[in-house]
Formats: sequence, C-alpha cells, structure tokens
Amino acid sequence: MLQIIKNECRYLVRSRIFIGISIAFIAILLLSVFLGNYQTQKQEQTYKNAKEHVRQQWVSIDEMNSHSAAHYGTYVFKPSNLLSSLDEGVNNVTGNVLRVEGHVQNEIIHSEASQMQAVSRFGKLKPSLLLQYIVPLVLVFLAFNSVSSEKQSGRLKLLVLQGAKPIQIILSKTISVWLYSVLLLIFILLIYGILNFQSLTPEILTRTLLFFLSYCSYYFIISGLTIFFSARWQNATLALTSMLGIWIIWTLFLPNILMSSAEQWHALPSRNEFQSAMKEDRSKGLDGHNPADKRGLALKEKVLKEYGVDSLSQLPINFDGMRMQADEEYGNSVWDKHFGNNRDILQKQKQKFQLGGIVNPFISLQNTSMGFMGSDNLHHQEFLLQVEHYRRVFIKMLNDQQTFGGSKTGDWGWKEDNAFFKSVPDFKYKPTQISTVISNYILDVFLLILWSILIIVLIVCGTKKIQIV
Amino acid sequence: MIQLQNVSKSFKGNIAIQDLNLEVKKGEVLGLLGANGAGKSTTINMLLGFLNPDSGKVHVNAIDTSHNAQEARKCIGYIPENVNLYPYLSGLENLDYFCKLAGLKYSKNELENYLTDCGLESTAQTKKVSGYSKGMRQKVGIAIAYAKKAKVYLLDEPASGLDPLASNELSILLKKLASEGATILMASHDIFRVREVCNRIGILKNGVLVKELHSKDVSANELETLYLQFMQN
Repeated sequence: MLQIIKNECRYLVRSRIFIGISIAFIAILLLSVFLGNYQTQKQEQTYKNAKEHVRQQWVSIDEMNSHSAAHYGTYVFKPSNLLSSLDEGVNNVTGNVLRVEGHVQNEIIHSEASQMQAVSRFGKLKPSLLLQYIVPLVLVFLAFNSVSSEKQSGRLKLLVLQGAKPIQIILSKTISVWLYSVLLLIFILLIYGILNFQSLTPEILTRTLLFFLSYCSYYFIISGLTIFFSARWQNATLALTSMLGIWIIWTLFLPNILMSSAEQWHALPSRNEFQSAMKEDRSKGLDGHNPADKRGLALKEKVLKEYGVDSLSQLPINFDGMRMQADEEYGNSVWDKHFGNNRDILQKQKQKFQLGGIVNPFISLQNTSMGFMGSDNLHHQEFLLQVEHYRRVFIKMLNDQQTFGGSKTGDWGWKEDNAFFKSVPDFKYKPTQISTVISNYILDVFLLILWSILIIVLIVCGTKKIQIV
Repeated sequence: MIQLQNVSKSFKGNIAIQDLNLEVKKGEVLGLLGANGAGKSTTINMLLGFLNPDSGKVHVNAIDTSHNAQEARKCIGYIPENVNLYPYLSGLENLDYFCKLAGLKYSKNELENYLTDCGLESTAQTKKVSGYSKGMRQKVGIAIAYAKKAKVYLLDEPASGLDPLASNELSILLKKLASEGATILMASHDIFRVREVCNRIGILKNGVLVKELHSKDVSANELETLYLQFMQN
C-alpha cells in the first residue's frame, strides 16, 4: 500500500496542472486566512475601543441618581473571537451590541450583515468557506478518474498481476487524495497559528485540533466515496457526475431543506408574537414607576410590617429602589419564561438538524466547525445569557444603592457619587467551556466517525465486485 | 505449464470459448491466431484469473487459476497490446515501482540491466515514459515480467502497431525468453510474426480451436492461406 501511496504522491508532485491549481488554491486560502485574521484583529480592536469608551463614559459619571443611571444604562459588546477568523459561523447575522438598562431586556443589534451589503450578499471570505465548499470539490476533481483511468488504460490489470489487491489500490488512492486535503488543512492551521502565536492558549489549541479532526474526517468521506465511484462505475464521467450530484445535495440543498423542516417542526414565535407576549405578561406584574400598582402596594405593606413602621417616610431606606428591584425581578421571570422557551425551541431545532447528519455528513461538519470555533448559536445564546446575568447584577446594584444608599423614599434628587459608579463592575465575557461544546456536538462527532467507518466498509465490501477486465 | 481442459465461457448467452483444450509446455511458444472476438483475450483473461470458466479447468504452473488466482499470477508476466505505464515516471522508475509491488527490491544497476536485457537503450531508461514509443513501452512491459522472473508470459497482440524494427526486436526478445525456459502464449492477428516466433500455432474461431499445427510444418504463405480458409468458412 505504501508503494501505491508514494506513487500517487509522485503523480501529484510531478503534475504541472495539479501544481498550478494547488498554488492558486493555496494562494486563495492564504488570502482568506490573512483576511480573516485581519478582520478579526480589526474587530477586536474596535471592540476594545468601544468597550473602553463606554466604560469610560460610565466611570466618568460624577453625580447621578442611581435609578437615572439605570435608565442611562450601558452597552455590552460581543467580543470578537480569535477562532472565528477561521469560521465566522452565525456571527455575521447575530449582531454584536446590546444596550443594558433597567426595566427592559434589549435585543442585540448591529449585525455586520445589516451594515455591509457584501457580507449580507456573499458572507465573509473566511477559510471555512473554502474548506467546506471548495476543498471537497477539489478532492472530487482530483479523485474521480483515479481508478477508472487505471482501469481504462489496463494498468489496473498490471497492478493486480504484480500482487496488489483491489482493496489496497482503492484504499491507497483514497489515502493519497485525503492526505492532500490534510496537508492543506495543516498548512492553513500552521499559518493561522504563526499569525496568532502569542494568543494561542490550550483552549484554542484544543478547539483547533477538534476542528482539524472534523475536517479530516469529512475529507476522508469525500475522498473515499469519490474513489469508490471511480472504481465502481465503468466510466469516469459517471463517477464525476455522481459526486457532483452528491456535493450539490449535501452542501446546497439538504442543509437548507433540513433546517427549514426543523424550523417548521419546532417553530419559534415571531418577533411580534414574542414581544407582545412579553409585554402582556409584564403588564400583569409590578410596575416600578407606579406607586398605585396593586402588587406595589402589597410589597409596601410587607416592607412596612417588616420594619415595624406605619408610613414610607418612617422607613430608614428608600422604598422606591425596592419597588424598582421587585419590578425588575418580575420582569426577569417573564424574560426567563419567554427567552427560556425560545432557547428550548432553538435547542430542539438544533437537535433535529443534527440528526440530518445521518444522511448528510456536511451538516455534522458545519455544526462541529462552528461549534469548535465558538461562532455557533450555542455560543451566541451563552453570550446573551451572560449579558442578561450581568444586566441583573448591574441593575440590582443600582436599585440596592437607591434602596440602601442613604436616600429616603421619594427622594429622587439624591445622587450617587463617582466612587459608586466606578465600583459597578464591567461586563466580562466567560467563553463557553470546551467540555460544554463537546457535549453539545457529540452527536455530530459520532456521525462523522460513523460515516468514515461506513466509507471504509463500503470500500472493503464494494471492491469485491469491482471488475478488473 | 499452461493447461486448459474442456474450457467453456460465455457472456450473457454469447459463447466466447467452447470446449477449449490447450497445453503449452516449458520453453514452448504458442501463437493463438484469430479474428476479433475469436476468444483470444478471453483465454488470456482466464489464464490470468480475471475471468473464471463456466466449465473446464485452467491451470498455470499446475495452479488452478479459478481457485488460486493470486498464487498463479505470481509466475505470470502479462504484456497487453498497449503497455500503459505511468507517463510521469521514467522507464526505470516504472520498473522499480512494479517490482516493488511484487515484493521485489532491486538495485538501480539490476533494474538497468533488466531494461537493457529487454532492449531498452540506457539513454532512454531515465527519460519519462510519456516520451516513449509503443515499442519502448513494450520493452519496459517485458522487463517488468522478466524482472518478476515470470515462468509464463502471456502476450495479447504484442506486435500490434509496432514498426517493423520494433516488431523484429520483440520477436528476438521472445525467442530469447523461450530459450531461457519461459513458457509463452501469444495472441495475435499477425500471421507472419506468429509463424516466425512460435513453435506451435492454434487458430481460434468463434471460441473454438479449429486448427493446431507446428510452425515448422507450414510456410508463412501456407499459414496465411490456411487461416483465411478457416475464417471464410
């Protein structure tokens, strides 16, 4: 087998057309890596600047009523992920700025797709685009006549006569073509590693390794299947047509069809429905700004009893802040209910879509690629949750300051000093743990491995029926 | 060395070979003459173990090719009409590659000697096969079989398309191999070349061996007349 692999590699190295195509392709891949890296670094810089600017605004507040500060609010920016320079995932369309303020959970805005026509039309030129769509095509063109040309030229007979078994020939050819894609991957990841050498962490390296293994697995599936068709069909054109058909179905049609089906199966409420339902539920709760509100009055009675006083003016604290916090907590539970429901639906959609990997390994590849690069919906949802958690801590701190900071009920003119605003913590994003990512994509990993095994089984069983003459 | 006993083979109801009996002994060269579709290539493919007979027995070096093709192939050298080598490799590299596939490791000198013995000039040995003539490729093909130390050589239309000089060189080479003890079965259309190289000649028509004779018993012209008679009847 080693001899056949060596010979195949010699063919590739000595073929001028192949070398030419490879150089051009590597140049495009390099360009995509540099561009991806440049875009990510630029985003990172913009993110840092914006974050610093907003934080500076916040810590520069000299004097302000804490509840006014809750309305003044702040902004949280979605941090740019170094790994997303390889696979942008859903980041283009999800937005990256969230306004954090009292009473309301705002939606994330300013997606790149909404601001850049080129991005909305074509997406960004990231290595994943080439690795997912173009490399498999290159492999198909490289392998479709690999065995059939041996058959047609009569060399297959000579090879078998010299002692090579058909299965050895087909496996060796599969490995040779696959090795080419693996080398491309290694090259890309090496360049990526060199460009980001100082930022590499064990987490990033682990994620990159998993990303690499997913692609290796998918490329093996494509190489093996193409070589199998090349060996099985009588002519190369049929092998090429079959593989192009599979490529189109796997990469263009099935992902769309399966995602639409998953969305139909577990439909998310529309934005209007979501907001109306939130508004309706929220209206049933406590209104922090309305002293005559029923729930507000009940809370007032409870607090007066707790402190053993008859009126709000006798309270040593500011009841307005407490009412605002109660309003917040009610709003939080409404948000948890509706947002949690959306999350459940998204999770169900994801699970159904993942099952699509049974018939289409490309789906598993896309899932793992985005997942391991931290640019999937799971990471986005995790970010939104962390922002909401921060918002709650942020608003509670302001409300507690209003309640226990020295002011009395109705004292809306009371102002906190700059030291307090400086003490309010900034938002810190905690990246999703790799163990969580793996547990979320274990099915995709399993399906990619299963597909690879199936391809080996197909080659082993299928070669028995391959005609040498 | 080569033995076919009551061999029949058909493809989808069309008879390719019918009750064929043949024997080629060590050092003997048998020429199989016949028109296209007479069954020459089918016979060779059965000897190579790529096709199994519907009935009868096929033996090469006393090994049944239907049951142990892998073992039988070890002693067979096969030279097709067109020896399609790897065009991006030189003659030397092609020989080296095919030898390694057969589990044979030769030094560069040994490989060069095999090619020289088979008539390929040393200046051509390191050139890429893409620039070789058909005759040169045939020589490399024979060198592959020769280096494998094949006991049996099966040649399918080896002289087809060769210029007279190359064809003559091939005849000399085959005679040399036979004199060294090789058993050769050669399928061909070329009556004169078969008459010149082979000890015995068989004429196949529609899968049936209609005539078997010793080449020394007939002149080239008589053989042609005989062949045409069989083909026209």
